[in-house]
Amino acid sequence: MSSVEPDQSAASGDLAVELVGITKRFPGVVANRDISLKVRSRTIHAIVGENGAGKSTLMKILYGVQAPDEGSITIEGRPVTLKSPTDAIDAGIGMVFQHFMLADNLTVLENVVLGAEKLHGIGDAARTKIREISAEYGLHVDPDELVADLGVGDRQRIEILKVLYRGARILILDEPTAVLVPQEVTELFDHLRGLKSEGLTVIFISHKLDEVLSVADDITVIRRGTTVAEVEPSSVTARELAELMVGSELPSPQTEESTVTDTVMLQLTDIDLGVPGQAKTLDQINLTIHAGEILGIAGVEGNGQAELVEVIMGMRRATSGAVYLEGEDITTAGVREIREAGVGYIPEDRHRHGLLLESPLWENVILGHQTQPPNAKGPLIDAAAAKADTETIVNQFDVRTPSISVTAGSLSGGNQQKLIIGREMSHTPRVLVAAHPTRGVDVGAQAAIWDLIKTARRNGMAVLLISADLEELVGLSDRIRVILRGSLSGDFDPEVVTKEQLGAAMTGADASEETAK
Amino acid sequence: MRSNLRKIGLALAAPALAIVVALLVTTIILLLAGDPVVAVWQVLFKAPLPRQIVAIINEATVLYLSAVAVAIGFKMNLFNIGVDGQYRVASFAAAVFAGAHWLPGWLNIIVAILVSMATGALWALIAGLLKVTRGVSEVISTIMLNYIATYLVAFFLKMAAVQVEGSNAISTQVLAEDSRVPGIDVSWLLNTHNEIYGLIFLSIAVGIFYWFMLNKTRFGFDLRATGQSETAAVASGINVRKMVVISMVMSGAVAGLVGMPLLFGQDYAYGDTVQAGLGFAGISVALLGRNHPIGMAVSAVLWGYLNQLSNGLQISAGVSDRLVLIIQGIIVLSVVIAYELIRRAKLRLEQRVVASELAQQERVQAEEVAA
Amino acid sequence: MHKVIKSVAVVAAAALSLTACSSGTSSPSASTDTPKIKVGMAYDIGGRGDQSFNDSAAAGLDKAAQEFGVETKESAATAGEAESAKEERLNQLIDAGYNNIVAVGFAYANAVGKVAKDNPDVKFAIVDDASEASTGDNIMNIVFAENEGSFLVGAAAALKTKTDHIGFVGGVETDLIKKFQVGYEAGAKAVNPDIKIDVKYLTQPPDFTGFGDVAKGKAAAEGMYQSGADIVYHAAGGSGGGVFSAAKAAGKLAIGVDSDQAKTAAEDVRDVIMTSMLKRVDVGVYTFIKSVNDNTFAAGPTVFDLKVDGVGYSTTGGKIDDIVPQLEDYKQQIIDGKIVVPSK
Repeated sequence: MSSVEPDQSAASGDLAVELVGITKRFPGVVANRDISLKVRSRTIHAIVGENGAGKSTLMKILYGVQAPDEGSITIEGRPVTLKSPTDAIDAGIGMVFQHFMLADNLTVLENVVLGAEKLHGIGDAARTKIREISAEYGLHVDPDELVADLGVGDRQRIEILKVLYRGARILILDEPTAVLVPQEVTELFDHLRGLKSEGLTVIFISHKLDEVLSVADDITVIRRGTTVAEVEPSSVTARELAELMVGSELPSPQTEESTVTDTVMLQLTDIDLGVPGQAKTLDQINLTIHAGEILGIAGVEGNGQAELVEVIMGMRRATSGAVYLEGEDITTAGVREIREAGVGYIPEDRHRHGLLLESPLWENVILGHQTQPPNAKGPLIDAAAAKADTETIVNQFDVRTPSISVTAGSLSGGNQQKLIIGREMSHTPRVLVAAHPTRGVDVGAQAAIWDLIKTARRNGMAVLLISADLEELVGLSDRIRVILRGSLSGDFDPEVVTKEQLGAAMTGADASEETAK
Repeated sequence: MRSNLRKIGLALAAPALAIVVALLVTTIILLLAGDPVVAVWQVLFKAPLPRQIVAIINEATVLYLSAVAVAIGFKMNLFNIGVDGQYRVASFAAAVFAGAHWLPGWLNIIVAILVSMATGALWALIAGLLKVTRGVSEVISTIMLNYIATYLVAFFLKMAAVQVEGSNAISTQVLAEDSRVPGIDVSWLLNTHNEIYGLIFLSIAVGIFYWFMLNKTRFGFDLRATGQSETAAVASGINVRKMVVISMVMSGAVAGLVGMPLLFGQDYAYGDTVQAGLGFAGISVALLGRNHPIGMAVSAVLWGYLNQLSNGLQISAGVSDRLVLIIQGIIVLSVVIAYELIRRAKLRLEQRVVASELAQQERVQAEEVAA
Repeated sequence: MHKVIKSVAVVAAAALSLTACSSGTSSPSASTDTPKIKVGMAYDIGGRGDQSFNDSAAAGLDKAAQEFGVETKESAATAGEAESAKEERLNQLIDAGYNNIVAVGFAYANAVGKVAKDNPDVKFAIVDDASEASTGDNIMNIVFAENEGSFLVGAAAALKTKTDHIGFVGGVETDLIKKFQVGYEAGAKAVNPDIKIDVKYLTQPPDFTGFGDVAKGKAAAEGMYQSGADIVYHAAGGSGGGVFSAAKAAGKLAIGVDSDQAKTAAEDVRDVIMTSMLKRVDVGVYTFIKSVNDNTFAAGPTVFDLKVDGVGYSTTGGKIDDIVPQLEDYKQQIIDGKIVVPSK
């Protein structure tokens, strides 16, 4: 596939955004290098690239958060210099961030006018304006509802409304589907098409290629900080697009022959977690994982996945119920005992739970295994042995680092994750709890991590895999269960289940048992 | 190798930067106040006299202990402001115990020091327990405990006090000659008969213990891990509550040592003229020394130097010696800012180094493959 | 910032200027360029300008400076300083050539004892301490009968109160300040055995901020006035300013300490100061310098009591003119030993 020059017939006056030769030098991370981007007015333009390719930097430049070192920005035919988001807003650019910036305890109206009080005041004028915008773009937003009562999709629409309220004509959406279930994604896309037909321009950042192909008019691919291709969705397949992103052959998770045994490694019985008088965070959780088995847990974030992991790892005590590790009751054991007993842990947020970012790699390899050989010698730390162990892990798990004494924070996300997995695997756990193991890592590392998990399974490990990536779950798991409002559904067979069925179970849209095997 | 040198350079840059900024700001203050700038710096940068050198070393000995006590907490993100109260309660207990002379000579000294550590540890334990059981911030509880310590000690001091004829000060029973730690005579080296506290060895031992505990033990690892990221510490199996309690107790025990060089090497009793505020000075010294065993030693000496030479300000330069408090205050403030700046610079530098080294590796590999 | 006080006195008479000489041999000289007496002052925390204890010492120095043409150098202690800093202060004064040293406050006891031993040619005076630690052949111990002076202002308060309810605010609860309290109570009870006396100390040692915390002094006095006291005596150094402003706000009276505070306190509160217990630190300091000047220096304790007017009460403002005869009567009884004022 060759780089396709964008539609030459489009007159430059028809361009909403034009970036020429944007370069941003940035210590440590991939910089933007000679980026060119042409976004036609009244289109949905997708920017795709793997994590760390430089998409975020580019968007920050476009939203005035960072200034480019070189290059020019033209908005609707006018050259601009964006020194701050205020400049960007004045130029008609609005940004909808991946993480919503809404105050739960305020109403929609209050959230929308916050910081933009000068536009239409904070009273009825503003309320009228919100209703107008909502009606015009079909956003179905009620200005007087409390944000706390709203779902994820509603909140996203409020974010969109917020930028429209500020007069944006060009909307940037950063990974807008990351937090949505499939049905909500469809809805969002309908809204985006609506915005387009009302004359707005949408720039849409994603690495989910199916979505991009279904909604975008134009696609720009970024790799290693520069634009490598401009394509039309009609002319590429998802696989071709992915290969453009990665620049090489693309791996995909594939289940191997079953290695499931009869030995129950991890068992949870009737686990409840919650405060009396409130909805339970975990409600009668029963699950069993056998040696050599991967159990996948699907679900929209915030339905109890994090709490489930914390209960298993001993970071949180269940209100009732019991946890057994190969028949041994570990319900009341502490994290250290559980880890010593052979439970490996790949945390969801590696920066918060998995690493000491300002410590060298070899100390990070000790973390979580302070009491275990080779790291400990009685009450002392055996630094020499830990360093040797780290060298082994770095080599064996292909952690790309110049040395084991650099800080963990200086590694890329994928290498950090490989270090964590290597650390956990090197202690040959009986059970591996992996929460979103490939989140935020590049495609190359993703494939490596999938391989590692499969190897673990082959070696008789029991793996609890929690992921938001349905493809990953389907590809790796022996069984999939869905968690919704603290309850687990029945088993789905990854061989036969469809994404729509999982999506339905994740939202509780219809009775999940029907599709359950 | 070069990056190592650069790291050391960066580590020293922060305190150096802070001191330079403090000197500049102080100069501006002096100019605004119309004070003799040159005379002031002449007084403060004069080479200390032999007796001043001894006094600086002695003051540093005490400040260092206080700084280590604070640093143990700092390493865990615990702000033990209570070192001040802890050392006063502990010194008082030790003074009462040693003053009773139940034990002979050296045994009396050793047991009294242990009593002091235990008392300091107990006093700190209160704050630790309040934090883990009731979620009371240790900042609040230790400040309150400082007040309580003052009144409690004053109350008991009145009961334990021995009135010295003709004196308006009250103090505990003065230690017998054999319960004193002899000073180190340095007259062979320096032209003064003033002696260095014999318990300077206690300070040195505490410094070594601190370094060893922090860098070589599992406990030290857990302590640092908790300080860096409590969430990661919890996930790694560290019982953070237990760590809070243990490190508070440890901090308190070291705080208990702060008053020992004074008790056994200078005052020989605990009275109402005992030196107060050492715990707060320790916070500054720990901050300036970056909680590093050697860094704190250097900053303790600097602190002692400034304190000792400040006396000459009024006498030789006609400027209030409170100027030194201003300088010290600005140093601490600049240090906090400078460290944060340097810390970020260091992280950026390392990211860049790692990225460039990896790129170079790849290039080499590519060339090898090509060849 | 403290300024170096340079003597403005003109050296008029040759007899006045003498170098201190440990041998005691006088070295009379007729030359006018004979070196002046050089006095180094080491103040307690607060230093010159505290309107109280240190200022009283400073007044003695100033008086001597005027009379004998003294060259002076001053330095003050800081809160929380090391013992070595006190020694260093004295040493620095000596190094700068000041061979007569006045240490103001008992906190200097050990430092004076130690430095005096190392510098036998230098003469020392220490205020408020006569312990063994500060005893030496070249040390004059200036001590006061604060209890006797306090007795008289206590009697004055008891005579003047309309509510039979008075108060005492101490700066820091040291034995020294308790002497003020005990004498005050004894004096008040001598007039009216049933009188109610509120007592409050602002801080406890080693927290000496109670001598310089106006807000604490004000709060303590406010409490007493609200509960019905109409005269409050303070022995709280700089915190006394707070006691006076509380009295002013409440429309009540207060009693000053150390100096004649109706003359030295902030102008707007002078009218509430009924009297002040005079602790003539100035007399003590002056006496020391004079003894050096006259070559009559005598080591050891010198007690300044009612008999030698080392303590007393002030009448500035005329608020106690009507009871002066009664006070004088008490004073005479104390001097005669008919009344023995307790000191603790």
